Amino acid sequence: MKKKDGFEESPLYRPLKVYAFDPSHGRSLGNHMTVNVRNEELEPGPVGGYLEVIDYDVSNDCYYQPVDLNAVSVMMGGGLEPSESDPRFHQQMVYAVASETIRRFEFALGRRIKWGFRAEGDGSRRLRIFPHAMQEANAYYDRDTRALVFGYFPASDLDAGSSLPGQTVFTCLSHDIIVHETTHALIDGQRKYFLESTGPDSLAFHEGFADIVALFQHFSFKEALLEMIQRTGGLIFKLDVGPEVRPDGGGPVGQFSLSTSNPLVQLAKQFGEALGTRAALRQALGTPPNSKDIQKLHEPHDRGAILVAAVFDAFFTVYIRRTRDLMRIARASGAVTAPGDLHPDLANRLAGEAAKTAEHFSNICIRALDYCPPVDIHFGDFLRALITADSDLVPDDPLEYRAALRTAFLLRGIVPEEVTSNSDEALRWCPPEVLEGKKLPRCEGLTFDLLRPTSPSELVRNATTLSKFGKQHAALLGLTPGVPVQAHSFHTVHRVAPDGRLKAEVVAELMQQRPEKFEAEDSGSPSFIFRGGTTLVIDLAHGREGEIRYAIRKPLGARGTENARLNRQREFQGHIHSNLAYTTFLDKHPAEGMKKSRRARSLTFDAIHRGY
Amino acid sequence: MTSTKKNSKKSSKKSSKKSSKKGAIPADGDGGGALDPRTIRVRMYRVGFGDCFLLSLPIAKGSGTTEGHRHILVDCGVHGQGDINTMAAAIDNIAEVTDRTLAAVIATHSHQDHISGFARYGEKFSGFDIEEVWLPWCENPEDGLALKMQRKHAALADQLDEHFHAQAAAASPQARTPERKAAKEAVANLVGNQKAMQLLRSGFGVNARVRYLEAGATLSNPADIPGLSVRVLGPPRDQKFLAKMDPPEDQRYLRLGAGGRTETANELHPFTRRWEIARDDRRLAHLLLPATEEKRLKEDLTDASLDGLAFALDQAKNNTSLVTLFVFRGQYLLFPGDAQYGNWKWWLDQSEAEDILPRINFLKVAHHGSHNATPKDALERMSEGGFAAMISTQNAPWASIPRIPLVERLSQKTARRVVRSDWIKVAGAPVLKNTPPPIPTTLPKGFVQGDFWFDYLIKV
Repeated sequence: MKKKDGFEESPLYRPLKVYAFDPSHGRSLGNHMTVNVRNEELEPGPVGGYLEVIDYDVSNDCYYQPVDLNAVSVMMGGGLEPSESDPRFHQQMVYAVASETIRRFEFALGRRIKWGFRAEGDGSRRLRIFPHAMQEANAYYDRDTRALVFGYFPASDLDAGSSLPGQTVFTCLSHDIIVHETTHALIDGQRKYFLESTGPDSLAFHEGFADIVALFQHFSFKEALLEMIQRTGGLIFKLDVGPEVRPDGGGPVGQFSLSTSNPLVQLAKQFGEALGTRAALRQALGTPPNSKDIQKLHEPHDRGAILVAAVFDAFFTVYIRRTRDLMRIARASGAVTAPGDLHPDLANRLAGEAAKTAEHFSNICIRALDYCPPVDIHFGDFLRALITADSDLVPDDPLEYRAALRTAFLLRGIVPEEVTSNSDEALRWCPPEVLEGKKLPRCEGLTFDLLRPTSPSELVRNATTLSKFGKQHAALLGLTPGVPVQAHSFHTVHRVAPDGRLKAEVVAELMQQRPEKFEAEDSGSPSFIFRGGTTLVIDLAHGREGEIRYAIRKPLGARGTENARLNRQREFQGHIHSNLAYTTFLDKHPAEGMKKSRRARSLTFDAIHRGY
Repeated sequence: MTSTKKNSKKSSKKSSKKSSKKGAIPADGDGGGALDPRTIRVRMYRVGFGDCFLLSLPIAKGSGTTEGHRHILVDCGVHGQGDINTMAAAIDNIAEVTDRTLAAVIATHSHQDHISGFARYGEKFSGFDIEEVWLPWCENPEDGLALKMQRKHAALADQLDEHFHAQAAAASPQARTPERKAAKEAVANLVGNQKAMQLLRSGFGVNARVRYLEAGATLSNPADIPGLSVRVLGPPRDQKFLAKMDPPEDQRYLRLGAGGRTETANELHPFTRRWEIARDDRRLAHLLLPATEEKRLKEDLTDASLDGLAFALDQAKNNTSLVTLFVFRGQYLLFPGDAQYGNWKWWLDQSEAEDILPRINFLKVAHHGSHNATPKDALERMSEGGFAAMISTQNAPWASIPRIPLVERLSQKTARRVVRSDWIKVAGAPVLKNTPPPIPTTLPKGFVQGDFWFDYLIKV
């Protein structure tokens, strides 16, 4: 958008239309909604600062016309109207939804995000989005291609749900799928080795986390939220909802309105149905807490669902707590609080509380990423990260978000290792001196400036300083002596706490690695790279520069067969390999076949840990 | 091994007298002795990478000889890549010990490594008196849903076969990846089974009664075997389960057209042509991918996805396996075919599983001892030391089968009463090496080795 003269300010937002869920909801539930995307310079594609939508269809070997969001006709309408048959709308939607997801991460993390892949020749570093890459019922993030890849496919003709049999289903028109895949890409940008699947929890964590981000986004869809509040009488966690009501509160209209599932708590409805499974891709919630599931479920999506359920139990607990007074006031004055009959003012207030609570939870979860160990995350680690991140920023917890999280995780059987009690104090990560009983000196000589980005030469110097520091204090930092230490992923974090204090910190990772055999006792076995390391949270506040606030450790540990973490990873990788669908007919070690094809990894999800 | 019926009759008679032949692993004690009216026998033939089991159940009349037994053949097939040429001799042996009378033939699922023998040696089978044929419901030509699935599976397998051939003919680099090699074997297992299936569905042309079975069915005294009860545990007709057997359709693929040129089939064009623009269009200048990148994407996306489909089809077919539990004079014998996790899971979730699992006395290990065909939660619930197991397997040409941790666990769980068919030395067949647990010096109790088979004998 060119400035006409020196006085004209460019607007903050660019309104763009998207589907709130996916095309299968039609116009109901506020499904046609507008996202206010942060305004930026755009070229046709759209191509902006972070994203580059390239509509190349590999299967048909052709390009589709790119949308020009600066075209006057497009801008006057607030973006193109939702349409399944116009690829330009698809491009607009993936751009808008991915941008909004990026904005949420930047807001929560307090910094500009980076991508996890190398910059291109011209120094630009944009995530590519292929909205119609292939004819396949799949979508994924691929670091090597630097892209989000979306497929399209004909709906099942056995049972297509609300799609027509054989109708083309576009994964890039599912709001949930876009958010989910963008989240994978965003996480990969935060941590270098975080996405490596080292155990049942790490894969499941990524799936669960991406679903959490997608689900919380639902609560920002005002119209859908209001309608669900009406139809559930404010109990938005209910899976079955009453029939649709007219604006005047009258009876049901049309038979489609008898739909009984609550879209706020399900994911990717059209995609799941079109595959012939008769349900949304994932019904995230609605299972009563069961502490046994964590021992039984190993498939990454099933296991990830435990994490999703735990976070949402906590969310709904806080939502109820925040709205109890409103409901009491309404009932005391004789107002009806039954489904379909809420006073519009009450519904509005409830929606406001739900949206606000969802945003808080979403922020807490995203912020916790900075407080996770650098590799091999367990659900228990995530709980500790959540508690640490939140108590750092909000020391007192009047609405008891943290208590709700602690209880919910415990009820789902998620118990962190090496923690003595289920209190905030016990769950918070410790500074190293508390763990080892010895004082750790400050890390001197780091240069970070609050007001300008750190220069490449400064970054190199900082990395050298930190890895020296790591070597010097290996034992205190949970590193393994005698193994080289590398410093990665510096993120400066600026946040304003609710009490107005400005917090400035650096999050960095110290990494170690060494090759290990897949089969411990077989000298001919191929090797993999086994990693360990420590996430450091370093204070930048004036007077405390270089103080290590937290050292979040996943030690490499000793060689040999006594290393429990190594053994677990070996066992897990054994399961992955033997469960690769193609293992049956492979004539070499699956690890060697896998190197050749990164796509093979996307085939593994069906059966991890079910057999031997 | 080619031998006339007469010859094999002689040789096997000899071997059945001398229960341990030269080079065989000696039995523990007398190994349980001969087939008598109080003995159930499970015979596992070593046919290579495939399954061929003969179950012999005693019936009251007659005494001391095979006349007092009724016989059920469970599968008869070998994968083309793992064939050790013993199938003909196996069928001859079956002919001999059953006197060419089979109470029932079970074809668990239509994979080459389970049914190829029926077609290849159709002539031999035509000399048999076969009373019943049992097939999974998914193979029923009169069942609309089954038919729809069969057609779809067959069409996909054929398409993949064509695609792989077309790419190989075009010397595409994708045709040489390890995945493609494996995918081709998976497809080879799926195609070319029509003849065998036709023969089975037609009751071998001798009016055998053909039953199509689904989970939940119970057969009492089937095939004139008094006292036998057969419970069918899989495959179910459950909607959720069906989705697992329903791969995405209309995959686009390459085929060899006229003049050996490759052409594309099943194209789906998501938009009308007006939205497609040429590469030299000005509007694309800043978006166009370098040709090398386009090529790489193509290899990554389309070809890998077809390989994936081949594996998905392979697993889907395994999941159609007929899972039968034989309950006979207090003994529980489980034959799960090649059932994969999905098929098992369905019946493990039923309340009867709790009741059945601890009672199992004999397990035919599913899918040649692969990773995904013996769920942990099933095996762990079977009784410690309370059952014996047979694995029909061969770790060549595919080294990942059987899965060693599974074999080791089975060995513990059965108190070492487990045998592998590839323990048997067969001239020209791959020799087993370097696989724990080591081949034992004497066979576990109840097992006897024959020419190229193991017997497991249960006294009842």
